[in-house]
Amino acid sequence: MWLRRLPTDRIRRSPPEPLVVASPVKSALRLSAVNDAAAALGLRVGMALADARAMYPKIAVADADERADFALLEAVADWCDRYTPLAGLDPPDGLMLDVTGCAHLFGGEAALAADLVRRLGAQGYQARVAVADTVGCAWAVARFGEDRIVPAGEAQNTIAPLPLAALRLHPETLEALSQVGLKRIADVLDRPRAPLAARFGAKFVRRIDQALGRDDEPIAPRLPIPAAIAEQRFADPIALERDVLGTIEKLAEKLGALLERRGEGARLLQAALFRTDGKVFRIEVGTSEPLRDPARIRHLFADRLGVIGDEFDPGFGFDMLRLAALMTERHEPAQTGLAAPDHTQELAHLIDRLGARFGLRRVTRLVAQDTHIPEFAVMAVGAAATCPGRIAARSGALQTRDPGFLELKQPGSRISGAPFHAAPHPGHTEQDSNVPTRPIRLFARPEPVEAVAEVPDGPPVQFTWRRMRHVVAHAEGPERIAMEWWRDEAGQMLMRDYFRVESHEGVRVWLFRAWLNDPERSTRWYLHGVFA
Amino acid sequence: MLPAEPMEQHLTRLRHAIATSEALVDEARSLALGLPAVDAALGGGLPCAALHELSAAPVHLGAAAGFALALAARSPRAQHVLWIATDFGMLETGSLYGPGLDLLGLDTTRLLVAHVARPVDALFAMEEALKCRALSTVVAEINGEVDLTATRRLSLAAREGGALGLLLRHKPSDAPSAARTRWDVSACPSVPDELGGLGRTAFRLSLLRNRRGPCGTWTLTWDHHERVFAALSVGVAAAAADRPDQALSA
Repeated sequence: MWLRRLPTDRIRRSPPEPLVVASPVKSALRLSAVNDAAAALGLRVGMALADARAMYPKIAVADADERADFALLEAVADWCDRYTPLAGLDPPDGLMLDVTGCAHLFGGEAALAADLVRRLGAQGYQARVAVADTVGCAWAVARFGEDRIVPAGEAQNTIAPLPLAALRLHPETLEALSQVGLKRIADVLDRPRAPLAARFGAKFVRRIDQALGRDDEPIAPRLPIPAAIAEQRFADPIALERDVLGTIEKLAEKLGALLERRGEGARLLQAALFRTDGKVFRIEVGTSEPLRDPARIRHLFADRLGVIGDEFDPGFGFDMLRLAALMTERHEPAQTGLAAPDHTQELAHLIDRLGARFGLRRVTRLVAQDTHIPEFAVMAVGAAATCPGRIAARSGALQTRDPGFLELKQPGSRISGAPFHAAPHPGHTEQDSNVPTRPIRLFARPEPVEAVAEVPDGPPVQFTWRRMRHVVAHAEGPERIAMEWWRDEAGQMLMRDYFRVESHEGVRVWLFRAWLNDPERSTRWYLHGVFA
Repeated sequence: MLPAEPMEQHLTRLRHAIATSEALVDEARSLALGLPAVDAALGGGLPCAALHELSAAPVHLGAAAGFALALAARSPRAQHVLWIATDFGMLETGSLYGPGLDLLGLDTTRLLVAHVARPVDALFAMEEALKCRALSTVVAEINGEVDLTATRRLSLAAREGGALGLLLRHKPSDAPSAARTRWDVSACPSVPDELGGLGRTAFRLSLLRNRRGPCGTWTLTWDHHERVFAALSVGVAAAAADRPDQALSA
């Protein structure tokens, strides 16, 4: 598909008055695109802007913006998703659609092409579409040909009369070819290939082969190809959220049946809503386990729409909805137990729903880690990803600027096969206290406190935390925790002496004295956690 | 069309129907604290499938969280526990610390923690979670006001799902609420052992409101090995046998 006037259509859709787009080429402003009206006046691409102005002083000129053109091309590609999920970009102004197996849904290739041109035309884009066996042939015919639909096997006959420029050649190659009198594709088709390749490059011969289908040329799809899709078109656009969700549920039924045959369930779902004016909304939801149940899929999208809120503007309605399973996983139907009700499904659904609303990363489980350092002994892992072997353990070197606050310099998390039920905390022995030896709440960043101790190494007798003075009634400690030497790259030898402390009011906190790495062996107090 | 019976009579009948349906819920499970004095005041234990409010002064928030976790530790072990907190709350009071929870008696493999941005999100999450039958306890930490409508919704959700709903409020409030009970929790000095170390974790519980029974104040200790409460010293429960709702729950 060729969008003939993309740069000018971007600025004004099919205007009756002449419009040109100019861009600097070798220190002169030259026309990089013209619209039909300007072309009718005799203006051509490549002409200097000064010449054009001299001919038509009142002509409208706009600056070229390749990035905006590309964004527009992507938007059109998104929209073309309605015809086939396999749409690739062919910058600066073309799109490649693989309609194999899709054309019959629109009443054949000719009807599909006509529908595409008509709909794009209604939106103000001038498109030329060609359907052919190969990418190269379609490209050539869309830009230079007459007959739009090339029957199977007719590629050679169709492109033979076209100029060589239709082969997507480099301008220098084209010039070299024209110097030796080769102008049409027919001129080179029958010639011996070896001299052609030697003289004009192997790429030139490859282009011929690609156009004729002797060499394969895949279309690189812009979007990932979904594992399964279900879609619904509407004669009358729908706009109500209720209708949208109802359609999603219906599509989910179709999709579920498709996935069930393969023994799979969806882990990542995407609903694409095609608005009548060409805008496409894509809404994705992830799930914590393979999912096929339509009602649950509907709920997830309802929650997601609830978050998106006003950004989700149906305008004049949607004329097509597509539900795609972007990621799937093996999912065998499980035998339901007869004895006790099994709530695993329900829990998974709750995690999915909270995840759809707040993000799956925000619903977490606490996973024990193999380290002595209190702040790294536990990690919050997304509840959706907690199978053994999939938990990313923290690794890397510790660093610190402030003796109370440690940072983990992460070279990238590694995947650990550690079992989910990790061993109890290594530094802890149950016998040594009547109370748990670790707090129930821990501050990510230990809070500095003013504390007074009777003896240099002893427990504090009072401390001031958040401007309140607490007098210590009982204390247990010290428990010394030193930085793990194998992580200690800077050789800072950080040490902390922890105390479990209870105030006269009964407030129980976890305090530590940090030994600073200076000649005086000075110390500083921090509050790290709170006990029950 | 209005029924033929007079309006007054109709209302009485409706009230009776509501009372009957609520009484049916009373027969549902309850979570016994294992302390006769407290369980008696609660009519056998803290009713599940209901909403309860806990509040504490800022310095005692750790104790209130500990009490909520202890209750969760006593809840049926086959089911999960969900803890909902706002990001700001987690910064302010510290995030839940896995090793400490395990030691307190709550198996962290049972625990899910949801982090939300705003208090209103926490209420939404709590309502959704309470409806889920896979959870035994849902705790939401709220730093702000919760109005009557919200607590009413949460109560209904809890009744539907059967989970114990605990609303841990950072700011004590006298505002009307549909919660079944309202507690004030504070830390209490423990009784140290003979070596001068810390004694068992102790709480002072004040039952400020109880829709189905008397109020009172008790001091409890928590045995993290056995997962039981024990009395430190028994407080005096206010006698309130003349309350009308006693007849229904008795």
